[in-house]
This record gives sequence, C-alpha cells and structure tokens, in this order.
Amino acid sequence: MKESMLCTKTHEYVLELENGYEVGLTDYAIEQLGDIVFIELPEVGSEFNKNEVFATIESVKAASEIYMPISGKVIEINEAVVDSPELLNDENCTDKWLVKIESNADQVEFADLLDYSDYKEEIE
Amino acid sequence: MTKQTILHDRHVELGAKMVDFAGWHMPVQYTSIIDEHNTVRNAVGLFDVSHMGEIIIQGVDALELLNKLVPQDISKLTDTKAVYCQLTNNNGGIKDDWIVYKLENNKYLVIANASMVDSDINWVAMNKGDLNVEIINDSHNYSMIAIQGPKACELINELGCTDLPAFFSIAEKELLGHNVWVSRTGYTGEDGVEVILENKYALELWNTLLEVGKKYGVKPIGLGARDTLRLESAMPLYGNDLDETTTPIEAGLRWSIPKDKATNYNGKEVIDKHLADGISRKLIGFKMIDKGIARHEYDVYFNNEKVGVVTSGGVSPTRGDNIGLAYIKNLDNLTVGSTIQIMIRDKFYNAEIIKKPFIEKRNKGE
Repeated sequence: MKESMLCTKTHEYVLELENGYEVGLTDYAIEQLGDIVFIELPEVGSEFNKNEVFATIESVKAASEIYMPISGKVIEINEAVVDSPELLNDENCTDKWLVKIESNADQVEFADLLDYSDYKEEIE
Repeated sequence: MTKQTILHDRHVELGAKMVDFAGWHMPVQYTSIIDEHNTVRNAVGLFDVSHMGEIIIQGVDALELLNKLVPQDISKLTDTKAVYCQLTNNNGGIKDDWIVYKLENNKYLVIANASMVDSDINWVAMNKGDLNVEIINDSHNYSMIAIQGPKACELINELGCTDLPAFFSIAEKELLGHNVWVSRTGYTGEDGVEVILENKYALELWNTLLEVGKKYGVKPIGLGARDTLRLESAMPLYGNDLDETTTPIEAGLRWSIPKDKATNYNGKEVIDKHLADGISRKLIGFKMIDKGIARHEYDVYFNNEKVGVVTSGGVSPTRGDNIGLAYIKNLDNLTVGSTIQIMIRDKFYNAEIIKKPFIEKRNKGE
C-alpha cells in the first residue's frame, strides 16, 4: 500500500495520479475476502456519486459491493483483473487497481477519508 | 453464547479465519478455499466436524421409533451399516437430514446437523410416546474428525487402523490406543472416513494426522471448502436446499426412499402422494453459461417468467465454472439441457440445467 492513499472505512482506497485518481480495494479487504473469483466493473464513461456502488467483487463465499470513495467519471477500467480476478490475490501483482476516474470532488468529499496511518489503526 | 469445539484454539493457532456457523465458532478457511478444495480432491484434507450432533437411540423399541421418524426402512439396516435419512414432519417436510447407524441390536447412532440437534431431540421425544426407548444427546461428549480425499485411507492405515469398514458402514477401532468409531462416510464426494471419538482424544488425533499426513500433502480444511466440495457432489445442505417446506421427493432424494416400507412414518401420506401424482417443483442442478455467480435466494426465470429460486450456488473449482442448485416449477419443457436465467443484481444471466452430481462420483459408493 502506498503512503499517499486515502482509504474509506469500507476498505476502498483512492490515490491521486497526474491525471485523475485510481480507485481500488485495500490489501486488508482483499485478504479478508479470500479467493476472488469474479469482478464486475462499470463501463468507461459511467458517473458515480461519492459512496455509490460502482463495482461488485465476489469471493468464493459471497458477493461484496464496492463504493466510490469520491464522486467521479470512469476513464479507464482494469481489464486484466476482470479477465483474471485471482490477480487480486497474487502477492506479486502490482496492478490491482479497479478503475481510474476523473473527479471534481471538493474538500468536503475528502473529509471523511482516512490517511494510511489512520486506516491502519482502524483495521487493527 | 457461541460454542467452541475441542479443537477451536488449535484452528486459531493454525491461522484459520473463524466465523460463526450454526451456533459454533468454526474455521471457514485456513489459507484459501480453492486451495483447500483442491487438496481434498487431489490428496487428503482434515475437517473438524465436531459441531455435528451425536444422538444415541437405544432400547427394545428403538427400531419402531426410528421407523416412525424417517421414510427410510431402518428394519433393513444390518449391524454396522448406515443409511442417509430425512427426519420428516407430518407434512412430509424435512426437519433435518441424518445419517443413522445401526451399532448393534436395539442401539442406533444418529449424526444430526449442528443447528438442529436440540429441535431434533424435542421432536424425537414427542414421538416417543410409550415406547421403551432411551434418547441420549451425546453431542457434547464426542468430537468428529473427517479425513477425506484419495489419500485419506492410506493416511488412516498408516496410524495402524486397517481393514476399514465398507462404504456407509461403521466399525469400532483402536486408534492411537483409544477406542473410536470409524465410519466410511463424508460430505465431499471423495473416499474417506469420519472418526467419532471422545473429546479428550481429539486434539491428539488431529495433530497426529497433520504430522503423519505431511507426506500425503494433508491440510486442515475449513467450512468454505466443505461447502464447495459438497455442492460439486450435489449433496444437499440442510437450511439451504432442504427445509420444513420441502419433501424428499421435491429435493431429488427419491433414490433414498424405499418403495416397500411396510410401516407408517410421519408425513407418509404427502410423500406417497408426491410419488404417485408427481410434484409441482423440483430441485435441479445448473451451470452458468454467462459469466456470473448464482447465490442462495437468487430468482430463476424461464421465458421471462419467474419459475424458481436458487438454493445453493457458487464456484466449482474442480470443473472451473459456476454451478448451483435451484427449486423450479416441474414443467415438461424445463429439463436437462434447458436454458434458464438467473437474476443477479437485477440482470439476467443465462444458465443451463445439467445433470447432478456436477462431477463424477469418486467414492466407492452405493
């Protein structure tokens, strides 16, 4: 996990890139889910509000809904993890992001996100 | 208050993820459900199934009572043999599913589902009437360890326990110097045994099996893989695929019901009617055609009409696709080969009705 990530209490992260943001699941969430067998991502161009469900991830045991940490419009999806969901469980895989978004989110939307050290405290 | 098996702390030590299941704090997985599943299919796995209930029914009228409780003909059971039974209510619905062993004349061992033991005991007591029978709930005295997979018998042989009982039989054996019951049964579709033993010997057996079994690739297996293994073998799970509203005939358990049982039993009228007149719904197996996973309680559609509901669904690590069981209307044009739709998150996903079980039988059964 990167130090500059901001995390939700529902275990999504958002990371600022040069152009837009990357959104994914925290390592902790992936570990809790266990073997991931199915990932459904939205189409490029879809728009979501903060806290809106944008993806579904299924482990062997159950389906989990994934929420947008901030509002935005999807500009790219990670086709590799859709084709091979088990990549999320692969320790050597470094590209586990789900979607990239562009966002005009203001400070209010960021207010309840946790920085990395606070998130770590939250899950311990 | 959640109950713990004798092996609880050992599971935690082994790194298991623990969950509440049927009133017990049980391991759902140790490493990965898929890896554990494959270990049982290819080598051997150990399951702590001590949460299951052990009920002794004994006395001169034990046979008469049991024959009143289940559609199966307990009078046909010979010593040391076991039979898969359903505890039926007065409407032919299933209150629980059991394995009944005849230990000796007038003495039977019942293995019941963990969450149903108390209600089963009440039901059995209600049905006892004036019969001369003793009903003993021994669940808290016994642990049960299932050893399952193609290497299971080799592993147990190596502990000096040879001449294993035949499929669906039980034998008293000496294991690590203790008297235990060894039953040639399981809930995985693989060959293997279930060892029923006094609580105080369970940890020693568990640890010995893990140590001696290393060369066979033995691993502890959690409830997650137990579910995917039984689903591939199309073994019903009580509470999911069977309940008080489903009869054994609707549940596809006709094979377990004898045609010629002479004595009456609870729910016989309804079950006989289902046998004679047919049923309005049936439990079928399906595989997903579209990429999606069916889960318990998802709706099933055919030609845009809702025709049923999924009772169990998930991934099949052995087949490499997604499978499930569903109750659907018993229509002539809804049969093996038919395309149905499963409603997953408000979208239709195509699936095909296929034959059960989902994988070839591997145990030396029936």
